[in-house]
Amino acid sequence: MYPEHLRYTTEHEWIRDDGEVFVVGVTDHAAEMLGDVTYVELPRVGMAVAQGVEIAAVESVKAASDVYAPVGGRVAAVNEELEARPELVNEDAYGEGWFLKLEGVKTAEMDKLMDATAYRRFVAENV
Amino acid sequence: MGEFLIEGDAGIRAFDRLVFSDMVGLRTGRCRYSSILNEQAGIVDDIVVLKLDDDTLYVVTNAVPLTRVSETIRSYTRTARDLSDATAKIDVQGPLSRQVLLKAGLKDIEPLKYYGCCRTQWRGGAIIVARAGYTGELGYELYTPNDLAPALWEELLDYEEVEPAGLGARDTLRMEMGYTLYGQDVDESKTTLEASMGQFVYWGRGFIGRDALCLRKEKHDYQVRTGIRSKDRRSPRPQQEVRYNGEAVGVVTSGTYGPSVGCGVGMAYVPSDLAAPGTELTVGPKDLPVETAAFPFYKEGTCRN
Repeated sequence: MYPEHLRYTTEHEWIRDDGEVFVVGVTDHAAEMLGDVTYVELPRVGMAVAQGVEIAAVESVKAASDVYAPVGGRVAAVNEELEARPELVNEDAYGEGWFLKLEGVKTAEMDKLMDATAYRRFVAENV
Repeated sequence: MGEFLIEGDAGIRAFDRLVFSDMVGLRTGRCRYSSILNEQAGIVDDIVVLKLDDDTLYVVTNAVPLTRVSETIRSYTRTARDLSDATAKIDVQGPLSRQVLLKAGLKDIEPLKYYGCCRTQWRGGAIIVARAGYTGELGYELYTPNDLAPALWEELLDYEEVEPAGLGARDTLRMEMGYTLYGQDVDESKTTLEASMGQFVYWGRGFIGRDALCLRKEKHDYQVRTGIRSKDRRSPRPQQEVRYNGEAVGVVTSGTYGPSVGCGVGMAYVPSDLAAPGTELTVGPKDLPVETAAFPFYKEGTCRN
């Protein structure tokens, strides 16, 4: 499931333009590949990141992987609920399983990301 | 897995020299954990042996080193029959496994104690059952002819108590118990002493690799496998470096999140003086803090109930 109003990266992050801030998480496909998520490491609020920089990490019973900033910006908020309930990433990857919010985003960087159709094709070609 | 049938007193005696446990004294209806070692005491394979009748052993080996192991067993025991290609294995594991197998009509399993085994029948086909497993829970391992396996699998899945489980689930269970995975935690580069399984060796008898093993035991110049656990939900991972006071001292071979214990668990090879429970170490690129711990991590297992 890849909602139409999101943008996607080749590293399987999604990002949503909420006006004031941009919300970031990992896709359903990423969550499925990881299996049961057991730990999410989130950045400090206020941290400035450039596009493509490691910004979080996610662990499951099978593997650990890094999460990269889909666009540059400053961390405005992190989903503290994931500390106690990392399984939200599996249950609701695009909703309650969000990772963090970015502000001060250079919107031009959004244009480099994939839309739902392109990401669906990317996943199909890279399984 | 690999399965081998060894029949007759001469065959059993020959096989006995190939493994570090006593096979001649193994009682009928019992299983025994053992290993095949090379001359340098490296672990060629770790195995479980079932004594099915007074003159019959059923040897269960790992799939990874099977070609080598098959050649080794048959060179020592010419009458050994390799049944691997004709045999399927289904593990039924968990506190409800006994009642499920009884529902399926496998009445002969009822009296089996931990590490007991028997021959039985299912829908007219001969199957072998060992009360053993790789999960720490009450459980049974069923060895069936290939053609019987699909029907047995389907029937088992029809019971509401039964769910299929994949390798990820099995891996968390075996790590919570501290069970080794051949090819990952142990292989031919490690001896039984390094693998911290010296307690399984029957020292007072001859077997391949014994001299080398005794020499290593005397010198005590090796790293040992120890349990490690994290302090939160982060997990150690295979191949990560282990550090003590910032200095590299060893390597993680298995690690995952332990759902039943609520923290990261794993195993690592470290110098023996650091293996005592409670030693503070760090692992991996982010220096995850872990401490050494005795196996099993999960102590409520039902395997002996």
